Amino acid sequence: MRQANWAPTLCALVLSSTAPAQTILIRNATVMTVTKGTIQNGSVLIQNGKVSAVGKNVSAPADATVVDAAGKFLTPGIIDCHSHTAVEGSVNEGTVSDSSMVNIKDVINPTDINIYRALAGGLTVSNVLHGSANAIGGQTIVVKLRWGKTAQEMLFEGATPGIKFALGENPKRQGYPAQGFFNQGPAPERRYPGTRLGVEEVIRQCFQEAKIYQAGWQTYNEKVARGEHPIPPRKDLRLEPLVEVLEGKRYVHAHCYRSDEILMLLRVADEMGFKIRTLQHVLEGYKVAKEIAAHGAGASTFSDWWSYKAEAYDATPYNAAIMMKKGVLVSLNSDSDELQRHLNLEAAKTMRYGGLSEDEALAMVTINPAKQLGIDDKVGSIEVGKSADLVLFDQDPLSNFSKAQKVWIDGHEYFDREKDIETRPEFERKKKALEDKEAAAEPAGKRKSGAAASDSPAAPIAEERR
Amino acid sequence: MRSGLLFLASALVLCGAESNSVLIRNVTVHPVTAPDIANASVLVIDGKIADIGPHLAARSGARVIDGRGLQLYPGLINAATNVGLAEISALRDTVDLDEIGTFNPELRAEVAFNPSSEHVEVTRASGITSVISLPSSGGSGGRSGSIITGQGALMHLDGWTWEEMAVKRGAVMDMIFPQMQADVPRQYAALLGTPAQSLQEREKQYKEKLQQVSDFFQEARRYKQEKQAGGAGFRPNLRLEAMLPVIDGKQPIFVRAERERTIKDAVAFAEKEKVKIIIAGPREMGSTGVLLKEHHIPVVMGKTLELPLHEDDAYDAPYTLANEFYKAGVKICFGTFDVQFARNVPFEAAQAVAFGLPHEEGLKALTINSAEIMGAGESLGSIEKGKWGDLILTDGDPLEAKTNIKRMFIEGREVALESRHTREYEKWMKR
Amino acid sequence: MKLALGLLLGGLIWAETHGAVAIKDARIVTVSGEELAKGTVVMRDGVITEVGASLSVPADAWVIDGAGLTVYPGFIDALSSWGIPTAATPRGGANQTAGAATATPEPRARGPEDRPQTYSFERAADLVSPTDTRLEAARAAGFTSAATYPTRGIFQGLGAMIDLAGERGRDMVVAQPLGQQISFRQGGFGRTGFPGSLMGNISYVRQLFLDLDQYEQAKQIYASNPAAGPRLEYDHALEGLAESPRVLLPAEESQQIDRMLKFAPELKKPFILYGLHEAYERIDELKEAKTPLLVSLKWPEKPKEEDPSEVASFRELTMRDKAPSVPGLLAKAGVRFAFYTDGVESAADLKKDLKKAVDAGLPRADAIRALTLNAAEIYGVADRLGSIDKGKIANLVVMKGEAFDEKTTVEYVFVDGQQFQPSKESQKEPAASGRKGNAPAEEIK
Repeated sequence: MRQANWAPTLCALVLSSTAPAQTILIRNATVMTVTKGTIQNGSVLIQNGKVSAVGKNVSAPADATVVDAAGKFLTPGIIDCHSHTAVEGSVNEGTVSDSSMVNIKDVINPTDINIYRALAGGLTVSNVLHGSANAIGGQTIVVKLRWGKTAQEMLFEGATPGIKFALGENPKRQGYPAQGFFNQGPAPERRYPGTRLGVEEVIRQCFQEAKIYQAGWQTYNEKVARGEHPIPPRKDLRLEPLVEVLEGKRYVHAHCYRSDEILMLLRVADEMGFKIRTLQHVLEGYKVAKEIAAHGAGASTFSDWWSYKAEAYDATPYNAAIMMKKGVLVSLNSDSDELQRHLNLEAAKTMRYGGLSEDEALAMVTINPAKQLGIDDKVGSIEVGKSADLVLFDQDPLSNFSKAQKVWIDGHEYFDREKDIETRPEFERKKKALEDKEAAAEPAGKRKSGAAASDSPAAPIAEERR
Repeated sequence: MRSGLLFLASALVLCGAESNSVLIRNVTVHPVTAPDIANASVLVIDGKIADIGPHLAARSGARVIDGRGLQLYPGLINAATNVGLAEISALRDTVDLDEIGTFNPELRAEVAFNPSSEHVEVTRASGITSVISLPSSGGSGGRSGSIITGQGALMHLDGWTWEEMAVKRGAVMDMIFPQMQADVPRQYAALLGTPAQSLQEREKQYKEKLQQVSDFFQEARRYKQEKQAGGAGFRPNLRLEAMLPVIDGKQPIFVRAERERTIKDAVAFAEKEKVKIIIAGPREMGSTGVLLKEHHIPVVMGKTLELPLHEDDAYDAPYTLANEFYKAGVKICFGTFDVQFARNVPFEAAQAVAFGLPHEEGLKALTINSAEIMGAGESLGSIEKGKWGDLILTDGDPLEAKTNIKRMFIEGREVALESRHTREYEKWMKR
Repeated sequence: MKLALGLLLGGLIWAETHGAVAIKDARIVTVSGEELAKGTVVMRDGVITEVGASLSVPADAWVIDGAGLTVYPGFIDALSSWGIPTAATPRGGANQTAGAATATPEPRARGPEDRPQTYSFERAADLVSPTDTRLEAARAAGFTSAATYPTRGIFQGLGAMIDLAGERGRDMVVAQPLGQQISFRQGGFGRTGFPGSLMGNISYVRQLFLDLDQYEQAKQIYASNPAAGPRLEYDHALEGLAESPRVLLPAEESQQIDRMLKFAPELKKPFILYGLHEAYERIDELKEAKTPLLVSLKWPEKPKEEDPSEVASFRELTMRDKAPSVPGLLAKAGVRFAFYTDGVESAADLKKDLKKAVDAGLPRADAIRALTLNAAEIYGVADRLGSIDKGKIANLVVMKGEAFDEKTTVEYVFVDGQQFQPSKESQKEPAASGRKGNAPAEEIK
């Protein structure tokens, strides 16, 4: 277990998670368990990284660290079902129609500062996805925001891996004949498909190929079992994950907007014999909620995004409420480094747009995405036996005036607002020391202090800055 | 329950035709410029607020509305949007922003304001009764390289035509202040394939742009002189004509400036040219707070819910920025600088409040401050006699997402809070 | 033009080596054993024949008075394009981007089957030539050998250990193939073929090695029973991979080091990591991994002109501050590493870069070792290169002064026993500074 020494705030050093698992009693908070109601003046005991007791009267061993949470609200760690944070390099392998051979797991970047910023908003788990440039995109992974750890240590142990599909405008944009609004550059070579019709074809075609590939390996394995020595088929990294989908070992997370394409995908999945685990964005999901519920797909959508492109024009912020009321498992996601910092506020919007209750709203960013990702046995609510992934807010998290104060993952404190603020001056000093050291090493005459720009009084031209 | 209320509201609106006199009773009134009044009423006659008090009687045919113990606030104002001028950002045909040309002061946003834009209804459903609509999308350097992009207008979010909706035409002159091109970070230089320009080159380009601006203003002043002299050879020029209110100090310039250096340069420019400016969309304050206060320059805050500018910035830097300006003595108001999230401006204010801005300042920055900064302080922004009857009835704090906006009045007319979004909701719940 | 200038400034003196050459009574740093405060080294026909404290010098030897001079083994650039003339560019031969500029554009790849950017079969040994204009500056910096690789593509090709002089290209080759250099090429925002992303690169490398595995299995099975068929295709990309005794993978930042340590074992070949500027974060892990390492001498630097309102991030500042300390930390942890010049070409810059590492905590002797014997050992040519021992190739650098000190000059360089006298000009700071502030960036690895 190691620590990133360069963390932009010294918090990661202060909150050294190399310390052995602590016993922590969070006392006297409003405990929003999400699944088992809200406990006023409740307490939660953390031991060995798990929640070991929840209730009004919880006793703790003598060596427990006590956190007095009077007046504060404790919630499960927030879970984001659609993230592109912590990815090194491009989030898309958009050069081919089917990029299932690439894997986000290979490029997780634990040094992305947006991980820390998201933690500071209460986010603890992210479903990190490939982008939406392809009908069939790359493999995806679930991580915990264990800031300061390595990429390997961030992986959510036991979470089923996924694969990204994308429908609608994005995966067909490279197939357009002329330059679109997004300026595709000089006479681009078109990449199939250029229409939604083609998107369906890509998916059906690739799964057809996957089945043939699967059969090929089956035949090979049977021959080997019989003692023969056939030449093995080529292991094809593109088709392997598709076979896993067919075998139910890999979840499909499909970016989609319009009702026609949503329906299309559900039917193709039925035809090919696999399930869609989650529909992502799914802004017109409210129109086919019935079919989504019948298929058993979860829906992970935006709180109120719309009208940024044509397929988002029929979006309504009531989407989550409608789908929920029609029996779909719904979560709210961010798809954004910025939005992921305040998913609790996004959840609160469902109270206005659809009249959801507090628990229903909070569920949208906790237990619901946990269920969608198949990790609800470990996270998503405050229950005995689950991971101690918790957030302490200074007031009701569904209030727009609330702030996250502390965040624990596996019972380790990964964010503490007070400590963050306390360590800022020291961080500034350290940084200034490095700047000064560098400046001192420069040949004389080139020297200019970094503070020049901020101190100088307003002047029309930059001359005096030299 | 909510749909029932909406239906009732719509029915009333239809019945009331275009009645703009109303008595709203039994509410907690939040005037913003005065202390809150519990159990009170507000009387609007012919679109203007006529009286506020504990027991008022209806007159002049005012409809009576029982507020049922709800809250009454002034309609909220979004001080920077493109509402009406853009429908779907990705579809150029639906977007009327960023005209070609460096100096376009004569362009007027209101003439292309589409009263049937879905964004009108959608935005007001969150309690916003007026917006500033700007002719450009801004962004660093502006997408088209424009500097002066046209004039922004203060618009009510209700009316049959843009003419009826315009509260103040030419409220501001929209300007994207020239900015030093940022250096391309090492990691991206290869990706972007751009040869990094030297600091010298970038400084040079920047100074050239500033000179261009200076020259243009000079041209405008010369034009004014010529016009006043009224010589035989004088020919009117639309562009320069449009600059006259600016150089006369009557029309403030809405100066988009994100960085500390840009802000300083903008202030220096305003001093030199003797014009009024508003700083719009700053992303850092640095030492400019003091400067802006001294020069009485107000600020339209950009999105609070934003990422910090630099990797090493405090995680809550954008959240605390509004309060920093406020503490420095600068007058602030909020704008979202977009279309589809214009309705969320109350939540931008709320986040600033969460991180230190006093609540009443947050509310002022959504109402009276915006009105005053835009030169409409006499007619909007608070519940005061003589002002427009722009009001919202809510079941709670309009800065909270949990709160429901129950009813809305613009110029005393009740306005439906239905929109494309609520209609989809009604329709598809039935499936 | 450059060649002419080189000849002009070079002032080369080619000593005809009919007989032996002896450097007498110099300080000799053998690297493999104890330093000799006053010793003699004799070479004949390109090989070191004697080295010791008190030797009798052969009668036919050309004698160089070693008083006040120090003899080191010639330096080895452990990852280079030196010797490949087409890899030299006016801006200093950025190892990776040069090839892309000169090669004909590839047709857009539609997937890994198209074998995009794959030159695994190219051989540096076939490409080297003494006409490379950079060789003179290399020698002036004390380098006598280089592990040279072709420069384009993701799979760049098979490297060769070459000596930095010779009459013909083939004379320069000491040993090959050394290994396969792999780089990650990301597409940028333009239209490119597969792969366009880092994960695409990694997945492609993984796929090619899986293909190699299957290819070799198929070959074996076919050979044991050709009648069962089917007949195999010849795949020269895979043949190139098969011939690689080891692979070289890029790892600059801490998370990239983690990533490669995890990924490389999948390829089932011995591997070397190169870059390593943020390795100060991973000394323990690298020690445990026992992977040979190549540290880039192109230390991250502040750009020449930095906008005062834009300050680098703390991480960037830390890297600039601490990268030169990496060699010292590695040495202390007992991790074997060598240096490579990474496009830095001027002798003065190289000296400064090495001095920086020494000042940051690398013992001078370890620096010398990293430049000589470590590189030879990493590539398995320590029987021929890397130290001043009897029987090894006569590659020597003779300095006046302690290596890397500012005032130190390179007096002589011997390559395969051939004597060179690098001019003082070639060792001075060039008029326009050799290192560009906004240097052609290395692509993200």
